Amino acid sequence: MVLSLNLSIETPENVVLTHQLAGPTYRLAAYLIDLVLRVGVFLGLTTFIMVVGAMTLPGLAIGTTLLLLFLLEWGYTIGFEFFWQGRTPGKYICGLRAIHENGQPLSWWGATLRNLVRIGDMLPTMLLYGEEAGIFLILPIYGPALVAMLMSPKLQRLGDLAARTVVVHSRRARLPRDPVIYDKIPPLDPAEINAVVPRSETLALIDQFLGRRSVLTYERGHELAGNLAQALAQRLDYQGDSDAVRKYPMAFLARVYVTFTKDNEPEVDVRAEPTRRRRRVPAGASA
Amino acid sequence: MNKQRFLQKRRQEWKRFEQLLARRGTASGGRPKPAEITEFSRLLREVSNDLATIQAHDWGQGLVEYLNNLAARGHDAFYRASPAGWRPALEFIVAGFPRLFRRNAGYFAVAAALFFVPLAATWIAVQNEPTLALRIVPAEQLDSFDEMYGEASTSDPEHAAGGEGSDDDDVSDHGFGEERAAMAGFYVQHNVGIALQCFARGILLGVGTISTLLYNGIVIGSVAGYVLSLGHSEKFLSFVVSHGSFELTAIAIAGGAGLMLGDAFVHAGQRTRLESLRVRGMEAVQIAGGAAVMLVVAAMIEAFWSPAPIPAVAKYVVGGFLWVLVALYLGLSGVRR
Repeated sequence: MVLSLNLSIETPENVVLTHQLAGPTYRLAAYLIDLVLRVGVFLGLTTFIMVVGAMTLPGLAIGTTLLLLFLLEWGYTIGFEFFWQGRTPGKYICGLRAIHENGQPLSWWGATLRNLVRIGDMLPTMLLYGEEAGIFLILPIYGPALVAMLMSPKLQRLGDLAARTVVVHSRRARLPRDPVIYDKIPPLDPAEINAVVPRSETLALIDQFLGRRSVLTYERGHELAGNLAQALAQRLDYQGDSDAVRKYPMAFLARVYVTFTKDNEPEVDVRAEPTRRRRRVPAGASA
Repeated sequence: MNKQRFLQKRRQEWKRFEQLLARRGTASGGRPKPAEITEFSRLLREVSNDLATIQAHDWGQGLVEYLNNLAARGHDAFYRASPAGWRPALEFIVAGFPRLFRRNAGYFAVAAALFFVPLAATWIAVQNEPTLALRIVPAEQLDSFDEMYGEASTSDPEHAAGGEGSDDDDVSDHGFGEERAAMAGFYVQHNVGIALQCFARGILLGVGTISTLLYNGIVIGSVAGYVLSLGHSEKFLSFVVSHGSFELTAIAIAGGAGLMLGDAFVHAGQRTRLESLRVRGMEAVQIAGGAAVMLVVAAMIEAFWSPAPIPAVAKYVVGGFLWVLVALYLGLSGVRR
């Protein structure tokens, strides 16, 4: 694994799933978004309730407002996290989710515990008090939370430790496209190279690089591919056209990949069935 | 095996699995058909297998991420937390909570001592020497209590809501109606909030819980002593007797749950400290949840019954009945025969 902040969970199917743990910055961002939302909803609804209710039912209006305050204070995170698979609106926007350490979705008591213990996590609190407005704002510092997150291997605050939960990134991964280039490229001539076989990691790297080359500019892609292509050409003692290696390093990498992945396979014509995805010939393929 | 061929062979199945997952994700998906469940279960195992294959062959981080994501979402959907419902909630209130309470009654006893002993001590002290109250509660707040339980008593909830401890302090001659609704909201927001905080602060080795209990005990005791020293005893006592049963007990229960959290760190027993926190934390939060429910009940009694314009004797009778009810509920509800 390249990434170090991973949580590995072994499922009942005996497969190790990995989740990427979320650090304090992402979680702070999510928290602040939630805070703004909560304050906004409270002020908005309170204004509405007071305007509508103040004339007819003043008491009920005050009672409803206070109940709303209670629900936003305590129910918001618990409710959202339980009914929305560990997400609050802030977490959703930041691409985060809370789950149990064993990979299971948040249970009711798990969500409750981790969010109640938040009170201990957010200490010390600063109280900003607007005297004449009668509004006070509690600004949490989250001291214990930060210390606990830095000390626990799974980046857990106290609430997470008690409830056995973690916050992870939940991205929608998409099936990577395989590089179209492989269909077009001829393998290297065995006469032009020595007997060295590149390690499988190298081949995987080439594969991934070619698969993602669309995210790089043409020049940058060639520059990066050039380093690897030159090194590989040297290692394989490539006797062919060294100009082509320099000018079209991606094509050379693709040839290396094709050579060493197709070789040990019996020649079955997989390509017989039509592939829809042959749309354009990639830039380096003309070599 | 060749990566390209593997992909070609498996891609259709992955797309199908994604479709099933998407359908599970939406509320309109409804109950899955039996055939669908079978297919889902088969695909989940296949996807898991594919993931292992790809990891073993080192066929690229992107592919691993994709399949990992699929398998994780499938795992989520398959091993979902038990759904919420009225039945488990009711079972918890009727049986689960009292059972947990009894199993951990020792913590409740300690919390009750931390809460009621200072309450009683300050009550007695302040009633004998009313000026002592000034050293605990600000003078203007004491004046507002005097007004509240005095003869002409119309009061605004916001004025009574001074400190953390001022929770049994409002009464009105207006009886039921608009003001009551406002007070109901206030009691829920204020009292349940205090109990939950009292519980949660226990995570700091119990220090937060102990200080919250002591503070509330002292403030409530001094207010009670002060009001009684002014001679408003009947009005005050008949007001607090009913909801006090649920409210004071629940605060001590929440405190006990907070002590459980703190004590899990201090006395871990045969477990590691973290493990001990986890095991007892799960029980403690359920006890705190039960206490929160009790406080909501207390808030309703306090808002709609306690200030009702009826003879004090009736309130004493009902109040006494409620104390017995709380004791029976916590002591006997859900006992297994």
